[in-house]
Amino acid sequence: MFDFFIHVASIACLYGVLALSLNLQAGFTGLVNFGLIALFGCGTYGAALASGMGWHPLLGLPAGIAMAALLGLFYARLGRKLSSDYWGIATLSIAEIIRISITNEQALTGGAQGISGLPLLFAGLKPYDGMARLALYVVVLALVWLFCQRLVKSAFGLSMKLMREEPQLARSLGYDLDRIRRVVMLVSSAIAAFAGFLYAHYLTFVGPDQLVSPETFLIWSMVIIGGVANNRGVIAGAFLMQFAMAYVPFIKDALELPTDFVAAARLIIVGGGLLAFLLWRPKGLFPEKVGGSNGR
Amino acid sequence: MIEAKDIRAGYGDGADILTGISLSADRREIVTILGPNGCGKSTLLKTIAGYVRPRAGSITFGGTDVTAVPIHEKVRHHKVGYVPQTDNVFGTLTVAENILLGARQLAKTEKEKRFAALMDQYPALAGKKTRKASALSGGERQILSLARALIAGPEILLLDEPSAGLSPLMMHEVFDAIGAIRDSEGMCILMVEQNAFEALGIADRAYVLSLGQVAMTAKASDLLEDPAMRKLYLGGEVHAE
Repeated sequence: MFDFFIHVASIACLYGVLALSLNLQAGFTGLVNFGLIALFGCGTYGAALASGMGWHPLLGLPAGIAMAALLGLFYARLGRKLSSDYWGIATLSIAEIIRISITNEQALTGGAQGISGLPLLFAGLKPYDGMARLALYVVVLALVWLFCQRLVKSAFGLSMKLMREEPQLARSLGYDLDRIRRVVMLVSSAIAAFAGFLYAHYLTFVGPDQLVSPETFLIWSMVIIGGVANNRGVIAGAFLMQFAMAYVPFIKDALELPTDFVAAARLIIVGGGLLAFLLWRPKGLFPEKVGGSNGR
Repeated sequence: MIEAKDIRAGYGDGADILTGISLSADRREIVTILGPNGCGKSTLLKTIAGYVRPRAGSITFGGTDVTAVPIHEKVRHHKVGYVPQTDNVFGTLTVAENILLGARQLAKTEKEKRFAALMDQYPALAGKKTRKASALSGGERQILSLARALIAGPEILLLDEPSAGLSPLMMHEVFDAIGAIRDSEGMCILMVEQNAFEALGIADRAYVLSLGQVAMTAKASDLLEDPAMRKLYLGGEVHAE
């Protein structure tokens, strides 16, 4: 049971990093990205390709970040022409195109079978390897949180929020919205790819099933339930959602429910949780602290 | 100061809304753009400001070609202040924070000096500088957005219907403030307005638009006294003496 707890907490930390990435885009800047999972996938496949080509595993990180940066810049470029809702649909479509391409490509990505055999971090530290990995993920989550906090409290963070609140007014004050969008997409894409890199070396397997669009909506539910534009809140949302989903099988066993219940209950947790919070607590568990020229 | 020649502009792939407009405005001058709804007043101002890129024609500010320069660059590099019609303040920020957003490029001491001067100029804002802008009335918001545009010391001020949604009393206050800016700062002010008589009361010259073209241009005082103009474009019957 303790190992299971370590496992769930490890995954929650990585989802927390992803939630922070989405929060920079959607929460603080108003960029409604439904294709976040593709940026995460750049990190997972960066790790897998480095491993498959016999490179040092750490080289998978810059490779993944470079791919995510390119994709993030492409998303940002689309944002110049498309309004917010159409941009969201476009990012979802691009993420699906990438996933389907990966599924149908064999030589580089291993197709639907994916790529396995990636090195597990701290494998030599058994039986304490799980705790060592969790410690690393906690440190990474804390550092990413600190970085995001500093960013959103900076002058640039204020410009992100002005763009979210009144984009045309922000332009009339000299803010270059294209530049803000580009920088936010670059930074958040790198964060998402970092999470993907760690995830790939945690599961030691990478496949297109990890990039399905419901994963994006799971991250969205973490952000909305935790508190849009509140970095502490989205981490809380990630842990809450991850633990709620992980413990569904135990509830099934306790109540002697059929196995189908697990998948259905997880969907209900994500969809129902999103709906409930949007209806009754749209600002989430930890609402944004609004106002202040220091970007809070 | 502002020179626009043969401007054609529209949105997306749609038809031209402006079909060959030319206008000019100088320093120490308020030029107002009037006309019925849908004649292209706001599109013209947005084109000159840089929100809409003209399909043909040229725009110069002080002799510099700015035809293809977007709004954010005009504000930063060409000393332009723009006051939008609606959604003109950041409601979650305080009055002081809103004003200081317009002074990002200034040194700290200069910023403080100009902020203090604006507080003297607009005592209604000074008393509420720590309040959230969302708590202000429509007229106060308009004054706030004017103050924010002024803090950077622009040479050109573009105003999009500054009296929109204001009570008559507040409208007078806003127009008085605009007139005072022209007199004290000596800047070039281009203003789109629906309230033609109020606008002509403070303006030096006016352009009357109709169907995307300049139907008439004249001194504001001449337009006010022209009965035919009042009847055609200004709702003359209402104000006829």
